[in-house]
This record gives sequence, C-alpha cells and structure tokens, in this order.
Amino acid sequence: MPRIALTLGPVFFHWPADRLADFYRRIADQAAVDRVHVGEVVCGKRMPFSDSIWPEVIERLERGGKEVVLSTLAAPATVRERRAVNDWCSEGRLVEINDVTAIPARSGQAFVIGPFVNVYNESTARFFAARGARTICPPVELSLDAIGSIARNCSDVDFEIFAFGRLPLALSGRCYHARLNNLHKDSCQFTCEQDPDGLAVDTIGGQEFLAVNGVQTLSNQVQAFCPTPEDLRAQGIRRLRLSPHTADMVAVAEAYRGLLDGAQSPASTRFALSCLDLPGGMVDGYLSGKPGFHSEGQST
Amino acid sequence: MELICPAGTPATLRAAVVAGADAVYCGFRNETNARNFPGLNFSTAELAEGVRFAHDHGKKVLVAINTFAQPGRVDLWHKAVDEAAQCGADAVIAADLAVLDHAANCHPGLRLHLSVQAAASTPEAVKFYVDAFRVRRVVLPRVLSVQEIAALNRMIDVETEAFVFGGLCVMVEGRCYLSSYATGKSPNLSGVCSPPEHVTYEDDAEGTAARLAGFTIDRYAQSQPTGYPTLCKGRFTAGGKTSYLFEDPVSLNAGGVLAGLKAAGVTALKIEGRQRGKAYVTEVVRAFRRAVDAVEAGGDAAEIDRILAGMSEGGRQTEGAYKKTWR
Amino acid sequence: MADEQRDGSLPLARILFPKIGALPLGTLLTKALRDLAKRQPNLFDRLGEHKSACFFVDPTDLSFAFLVVPDGERSLVRVVGKSETSSAAVFISGPILMLLGLLDGSLDGDALFFRRIVSIGGRTEAVLALRNAIDDAELRPADLLGLHGALGRLADNAILGSLRAARRLACRGLDQGERS
Repeated sequence: MPRIALTLGPVFFHWPADRLADFYRRIADQAAVDRVHVGEVVCGKRMPFSDSIWPEVIERLERGGKEVVLSTLAAPATVRERRAVNDWCSEGRLVEINDVTAIPARSGQAFVIGPFVNVYNESTARFFAARGARTICPPVELSLDAIGSIARNCSDVDFEIFAFGRLPLALSGRCYHARLNNLHKDSCQFTCEQDPDGLAVDTIGGQEFLAVNGVQTLSNQVQAFCPTPEDLRAQGIRRLRLSPHTADMVAVAEAYRGLLDGAQSPASTRFALSCLDLPGGMVDGYLSGKPGFHSEGQST
Repeated sequence: MELICPAGTPATLRAAVVAGADAVYCGFRNETNARNFPGLNFSTAELAEGVRFAHDHGKKVLVAINTFAQPGRVDLWHKAVDEAAQCGADAVIAADLAVLDHAANCHPGLRLHLSVQAAASTPEAVKFYVDAFRVRRVVLPRVLSVQEIAALNRMIDVETEAFVFGGLCVMVEGRCYLSSYATGKSPNLSGVCSPPEHVTYEDDAEGTAARLAGFTIDRYAQSQPTGYPTLCKGRFTAGGKTSYLFEDPVSLNAGGVLAGLKAAGVTALKIEGRQRGKAYVTEVVRAFRRAVDAVEAGGDAAEIDRILAGMSEGGRQTEGAYKKTWR
Repeated sequence: MADEQRDGSLPLARILFPKIGALPLGTLLTKALRDLAKRQPNLFDRLGEHKSACFFVDPTDLSFAFLVVPDGERSLVRVVGKSETSSAAVFISGPILMLLGLLDGSLDGDALFFRRIVSIGGRTEAVLALRNAIDDAELRPADLLGLHGALGRLADNAILGSLRAARRLACRGLDQGERS
C-alpha cells in the first residue's frame, strides 16, 4: 500500500523573521512531515522581512530530511514581485506555482500547482502535467469526489488535499488590515503582524465567520479533514497539506501521521486536534460537497 | 473604443443593441456561465436568433463560457463552445484552461477572449494565455489602476477590455470561495455568487436583516435603501469595529475615467449586469453610448456620474481600483 | 363573491381591467394567463421548477392581494385578503403602479427593490425567476386582457399612457418624500 505523504504548506501570516526561523528549526528537527513549503505567498510587501532567512531555513530543513518547495506569490503585481517569482522559478529546487504568471518561467521543469491556481478538472490537470506539474493541490472548495475524479484521470501527478488550517478563501488588491486601521495599502505599517493566525471577522449577528490576513481572506474556522487512509487511496490521493498556525504544528503533524498510518481513528485524530490551541472551530464541509463551514466529521 | 453590454435574456439583447451596444455578451442557460441565475440566459435557439438580430444591426455577440468545467463533465463545456461557434458567435469568453484549450484546438477560427475570471493581470500571465491559446483579448481584473493598465498595455500585444459600470468584485475574480464557504455554491463551481436560494430578508424590531445561509450580512433601518447580501459587500465586526470591511455596498462607475482608459490603450469597455433587467440595461447602455461618443470626439464624461446615479445598488458609486487610493 | 365585492369598491382596478364587470377579477386573470400560455408557451419555460410556486402579490395601495401560480396553461390567479398568505411560498408587495411597471418592463425591479419601493419575501430564487421571465416576455396590457389587433393596440396605448402619467406623479411624490 502506498504511503500517504504529509506536506507543510507555506505560512500565510506575517510572522517576524525570528519567529519564522524558530518555527522551521523545530519543524526540521521534530515534525513528521515529508515536504515543507517556504516563502511568502500572500503579500509581496512582506518579502524583505523574511528574504534573508530562507537560505539557512532551507539548509536546515534539508538536513532534517525534508523535501523543500519554494512557494511563489499568489497575486504578483509589481515589477519587484514579478521578478521575485521569476527568481525562485529559476532555482534548482521544486517550486510551487500559485499564479500562472510563473508558468512561462517554469514550463518544462518540475513544479507544484498550489491551491490558488484554478485546477477544476482533469483536462486542466493534464495540461499542467504536460508542462511539468508533479503535485497539484486543487482549490479548497472542491469535494473529495471531485478531486478523486481528477486524480484518477491524471495518475502521473500527486494530488494533495488541503487538510488542516484556516481555509484560504480569497485574495484582493485591497489590504483589509490597512483598511481597518484607516491606512493606505502603500503605507500599511504592517499591522497584519499583530494577528499571527489572522484577525477574526464576525457577522453583525455575532457569528464567527471569516478571518483577514492583509490582502487575504480566510475562514474563521479551521479545516480539520480527517479521512481514513483507505478513503484517500480509493480516490487516488497521495498527500495531505497542513497549513501552519501558531498552534503546535509538530503535534498536528503527529496526529495526521498517526491517522494516515492507521494508528489513530478519524475520531481520535479530531479529538487530538481539538485539544490544541486552534484559532477557530473545526470544519470539513467542502470535502463532502457541502458548504465549507459545515463539519461532517464531528457529527459522525 | 467598443462598448460591450450585458444581456440575460433575448429581450435584453435586442434592447442593448437598439440602445447603442457595439457588442452584447450573454451565456447559455446552465452552469457554463458565471450568471447562472433562475430564469436567466439563452437556449441554443435563442442564441442563434440573438446573433442574427445583432448581425442584422451590424453588432457582435460574445458568448461567456466562463465557469470552470466540472470533473467528469467537461463535455458540457466543450459542447457550449461548439454551439456558440455554430450559432455564429463573434467570440467566446472563457477562463478555464479546459475550455480555452478545446476552443483553440477545435475552432481555430473562433475569436477567444480571456474572461476576467482568469484574473490575468501581469504581462507574464497574459503572454501565457496568448501563446497557449491565441487569446485575442484580455478582460482585465477589476483590481488594476488606470496607470497599471497603461503599463500593462505597453508590455503586451493583445487587446484589453475594462469594466466601466455595474457590480464590483473586490476580490481577485475567479479565485474567491467566500460564497461556497457559506452556501456550497460559488462563481467557479456553479456560476453564482451568494445564490438567491440562500438569501432571506427578515423584518424585526431593528429593521430588515439580509441573511445568506443564516449568516447576517447586513441590516437596514425601515427607511434605508437595502442591498443584495453579497458576502463581500456586507457589514462585519473585526478588531472591535463594525464596518463594511471588504467593500461598501457601492457599484462601479468609471464614467469619469473613460478618457484615461482610452489613453491607457484599452480597446473595449464593458458594462456588468447580465442579471439585470432590460430597463436597467437600456438606460445604462444609452448613457454610456453618449459618454463614449463624447470621449471619442475629444470631450469629457463628467456628466455621466449624475446620469447614472439612480440605477446602482444602494445608489452609491465608486471608481474602484481605477483610482489607486481605493486600496 | 368575495372577488366581486372587492372589485366593486375599486375604481382603479376597473380602469386597469375593463372586463371586470363581466367576470370576477381572479377568474378573469386566470383565463388571461392561461390564454397567454397557449399563445406564448416559451414564456413560462424560464420559470423552470418555480412555475408551480405560489406567489402572494400584494399591491399595498389596494385592499386585496393576489395568489398566483404561473404554471402555463394550468395557471391560477385568486383575489384574496391581505392575510391569506398561508399557501404562498413567495411574497411580493409594492404600489400597484410599480408592480405593473415591472410587468411591462418599463421599470427596473432591482432599483425598485433596493429603494424599498417593492419588497420581497420567501423563496428569493423564485422571485428572481419570475422577474427574469417577465422581463424577457415583453408583456403588454393587452396580452393579459386577451385583446388582439387594433383593439389590443388601443388598450395598450390607453393603459400604458395613463400608467406612465400616474407613475410620474407617484414617483415625484416618492422623491419628495426621500428628500424630506
């Protein structure tokens, strides 16, 4: 039986360089993940803060036996951002493409398609596979059946499911942290740094609903998809993605490794996750074709 | 500059042509188009008839097949492209690689426009779609300023089309799942955003609450104009403040920057609103026809804000991202 | 009988529906809708699954309301009291002149809704389907009255003309109300 791998996705939030470096040191040494994404995905303005730490982080992760993937910006716009995308694409390491801007620079070499690129069907998956896609993590709103249907028709690519973390739901040209603080995006003062898991957005009826992270909107609730390994194999899924939060990600990885090895049941895995300091309630509705905020797992 | 106008029904198509559209865009009555609302859109026979009517008046019809094909059902999207071609459509507007690829391979003579749902905003992204599928025009995302459009146009060798009036997406189009998070349906999955079957308006002591799938999106006093509970136009509480966090309930009116868009090298101007009625389309198209003619003649379009103010949601308008201060 | 009683008290309805003396209003409108379905069957296609829905249409300035099931040749219109809403899935209310403006396509439903001149409740998607079907139908008053040819044109001109005049007056009143 093929082993289902675990991937640690890129950090979506604006963590200070020290926090990032510490985080990846611990991941390198202790986390039961096979692959680790590094790099800024959400906001090009944050890049100068973390640029200098990546060489050491990458070296440390590789020394810890992790495969490193360089994640590129999801919505590059300025000349500097476009150049950053191109620079990472010309690196020897595996690159995650989060916008088609990167395709011309990377076509013909191996890449990962991230959840910000619209892969909704087998034709699109095969199109990217023919140009070098090795792994595809489809948009978060697709159901497990839909992803399985694509995966079974595109078997030379690893399909990865966004299994854990606040769901990336939207990107904007506008920065909501800046807007909330009456600042202009161009002089935003990086107030997003104050919310290392994103800032909760409630409805005026008082319901927990969304979270903002600069130009990104996420779910308030945390995706906690806990399938059996058999469910995943039946759909041709080879990887699960865990998205970093301030909660103990080593413990999250351990819980998922136990689940995928058959050592823990979905229910006990969910219980283990719920004991961690998560920023919101647990959901998994998207995977069963329901609204994303539904939680199928908890009712069974 | 060409004026591209919306039509949700054959009657609206005819009204738009008569009111001064250079081209009308519309879609089939299924999930292949991003305005998949009840009672809206065209059968194949209606499209063929609409194309005949437009061509008789010297105008064009563009067919939006701009959602993302569902796994195992890609044939439905391919068939939509085939039927658009058979009906004599002047172009197909698409975002999904599966649709673009099919159109480019099977209908090499059919003009392809890249839908705003593909959100191609960099020269590299545009180049990718032009090289891979011979796309002839790119509909620009609504997050670019006029200066950025001018800069982009200098770096690419393909026509561009810009939205000038109607609903305003504040998120990057084609990459927003807010609607499916609350309702299970979204633009990409089902061709609808904040779908009407999940919308309720409830009167209580405080006024009217507009809800989407149980989430209260906004609340109005009895005397206040209401809005449709589109998720990104709602009032929310964050960081102790209650505000229109994502976008105020305004609609786009770029009437004031038409001259700027022309100078930026834009080929075509697009009016949003395939879900709106023919009274709305007629009034907006007529006004924009006058404004575009004035701009082409070297005049200015300052009047247009006042002319169109009554037709938008909640009555308020913005120039959106075309002015950089929007961010 | 309830129909006739209410009709008798309403001069506006008499102007809009001249045949009213001969038939109760509900029966007349039911027949008109069914005749329309015979002549233009496609018109009802746009309603899809919503054609079997029961619409409660409440002209706020009249003393009665309508229950409408727009199901092609099986259409049904009943004149009912303002409180007889139990069988309805959809609620539409507003001044009669504005509701009629939606019917002939001369007014924009969204604008009327957002300005709260027309309000809706219940199954929003069914309202939308009805709005879109009507908008494409390009209905004339004569279509609903079952009048054809020269007589139909005469009725259209007379009714649409007086509607436009009445609506101009009504809108002026609304605008002044908003400013104050």
